[in-house]
Amino acid sequence: MINLPMMPTIVMDMVGSLIIIVLSFLSLRYAYLLTRRQPDNFLWGFLFYFCLTLAAFSVSRAVGHLLKQILLIYGNNEQWNSLRPMSGSFNTLLMISLAAVTIYYHKGIEGYRAIQKKARSIKEANLQLEVSAEKLRQLNLNLEGMVEERTMELSKSEKKFRNFFTNSKDMVYFCDTSNRMVKMNPAGLEMLGYSMEEDPELNMLDVFRNEEDLDHYFETIVTVGFVEDLEIEFVRADGTVLYVLLSATAVYDDNREFIACEGIAKDLTRLRTMMEQLSSGEKMASVGQMAAGVAHEINTPLGVILGYAQLMMDDFSPESEEGQSLAVIERQTKACRKIVADLLKFSRQSESARENLLINEVLEDVMAVTEHSLNMDHIYVVRDFAEGLPGIVGDTEKLRQVFVNFVNNAHHAMEEQDKGKLFLSTYYEEESHRVVATIRDTGHGIPEDVRSKIFDPFFTTKSVGKGTGLGLSVSYGIIQEHEGIIEVESPVNIDGETVKGTAIHVKLPASLREPVSVIE
Amino acid sequence: MDCKKKIHRTFPFLLLFVLTVFPGNAWAVQSHGAPEGLYVHQLAHIFYAAALSYLFWDIKRNEFRAGGWRYLRIFCVLMVVWNVVAFVGHSLAGYVHSSELITGSEYLKTHFEGTLTTANFLCYFTKLDHLVSVPAFICLFISMRTIYRNSLEEEEV
Ligand SMILES: Nc1ncnc2c1ncn2[C@@H]1O[C@H](COP(=O)(O)OP(=O)(O)O)[C@@H](O)[C@H]1O
Ligand SMILES: [Mg+2]
Repeated sequence: MINLPMMPTIVMDMVGSLIIIVLSFLSLRYAYLLTRRQPDNFLWGFLFYFCLTLAAFSVSRAVGHLLKQILLIYGNNEQWNSLRPMSGSFNTLLMISLAAVTIYYHKGIEGYRAIQKKARSIKEANLQLEVSAEKLRQLNLNLEGMVEERTMELSKSEKKFRNFFTNSKDMVYFCDTSNRMVKMNPAGLEMLGYSMEEDPELNMLDVFRNEEDLDHYFETIVTVGFVEDLEIEFVRADGTVLYVLLSATAVYDDNREFIACEGIAKDLTRLRTMMEQLSSGEKMASVGQMAAGVAHEINTPLGVILGYAQLMMDDFSPESEEGQSLAVIERQTKACRKIVADLLKFSRQSESARENLLINEVLEDVMAVTEHSLNMDHIYVVRDFAEGLPGIVGDTEKLRQVFVNFVNNAHHAMEEQDKGKLFLSTYYEEESHRVVATIRDTGHGIPEDVRSKIFDPFFTTKSVGKGTGLGLSVSYGIIQEHEGIIEVESPVNIDGETVKGTAIHVKLPASLREPVSVIE
Repeated sequence: MDCKKKIHRTFPFLLLFVLTVFPGNAWAVQSHGAPEGLYVHQLAHIFYAAALSYLFWDIKRNEFRAGGWRYLRIFCVLMVVWNVVAFVGHSLAGYVHSSELITGSEYLKTHFEGTLTTANFLCYFTKLDHLVSVPAFICLFISMRTIYRNSLEEEEV
């Protein structure tokens, strides 16, 4: 037999009931707050209903228990007995409800999970979409920049090549299969003597001088694919011949089909004439050397002839026939000696004196000898000598020779005309510290193509016997010896006006000392 | 799974059936002593326990890992235990002879006098069911609070 007091169970029942009511309502509050925060969240909804039923159950049960205990404590057993089934039923009902809520949760959670999964995948997809959109945007941005950059590079490169094409000093051309020159740069057109404006439709046939050359060129292009350093002749617009060095390459399309060719031609005319001149110059030099040797050899017998002639002249009166013949011999021998001296001068073997002299006086000396014969051809001399010029150092005889040459050339240039004028002028060029003498004629002038050659030895445009072609080359040598320069101007430019004729400027360095008169 | 689904689907009908067939049992039964009311009540306990077991299992299945859900699971376990206790308590109520409960003039001084059979002891023990249900509700409270706070934090992030 035992004796257990029911007191603890009663107290616990009451206290526990109270605590459960409080806790269930606190839980309900949180669940409610959750649903308020995220009304769409199924889980919170479930938790809310779960807590709600729990709270209701707690109330029903705990209040029932409390009532029971209180009623029993106060001895109201009757009342409790009438309430008891009510409380019990409620409890049953609410327990079943709770079970129902939970079971229904099952259905909901399936949907919730599906939705959650969908939402997550959508979110992921969105994120990916955003990333790709950003990528695309970047790409687009980059693309724009890239296109811009490329275009700029392209235009730069295009410009570079266009510049190269336009500014090249050599001919650059493009040619189609029928040998039509489709495009040619300005230098090429200029080379061929066409103007840019007329934009001529050129064919290789018109340009090549020899048809065989063209055949060879075309054949090589087609078979080999290129030609290299072909030396051929072109014909210019005016018919003159042009020596060119031609290199060309075939252009193929994607099917390796020959469609065009592009080429570069370099004008070799100048080089060629220069080469020719060089070889002739060499020839001349050897001729000059030989002439000098010969002159030297001839000089001695000439001296002997002159000596004997003069010796014999003493034996005959100048009026006698013999005397006159001897005078002719003497004169002609002297002329021979002069020619020989000229030849020697040409080979620059004679010594030059270095004396102080005045250019005006040298010119007057020359005039004294030549003016008469000039006047005979109605050529009149106009002098314009500057006063008080500084002196120059040099060989009077040689300088006289130079100016005689110039005056003679001027004379020859004006001979065919009925009349002419020879202008002689001198002045001091302060900045270069030089004395300048100018001999200007109103003759036919020097044509462009001749001008580069006039100083060449033996170059002459005159008939045999009249010109030797030595005058200017000897003069050039002498002036060079004097450290001076010769400038040729033809036609002449006077105060901005172009005048027919030739002007020769001789510029000689002024001496530092005072001028000394050298009148013989 | 299929079987379970069937049960879930049929449950509401079952409930409706029970309530319509025994309307008096649901509302008008005088005491648990009458077998029908007691049966319904006991069945309700079973349902209740089953529902909570299911919830316990489902929380795990869904991998709701946050702290709050773990407390909810503890709540489920405790409440299942409580259901068992209550079920046992109700079942045993018939074995305790009221003659053994000596109620004097004062209800609070009621005490039990008799031989200490297992049934008697269990019955006494089941009267102390709040030892289980109070901790269960504490867990529920903690669970709701934690879930709510977590959701607040999540929102902030
Ligand atoms: N004043 C001038 N006017 C025109 N042509 C000139 C003049 N001076 C020189 N020349 C040209 O230069 C050429 C070379 O002159 P030069 O060396 O003196 O040889 P040459 O007088 O014997 O021909 C001349 O043949 C002539 O064509
Ligand atoms: Mg001459």
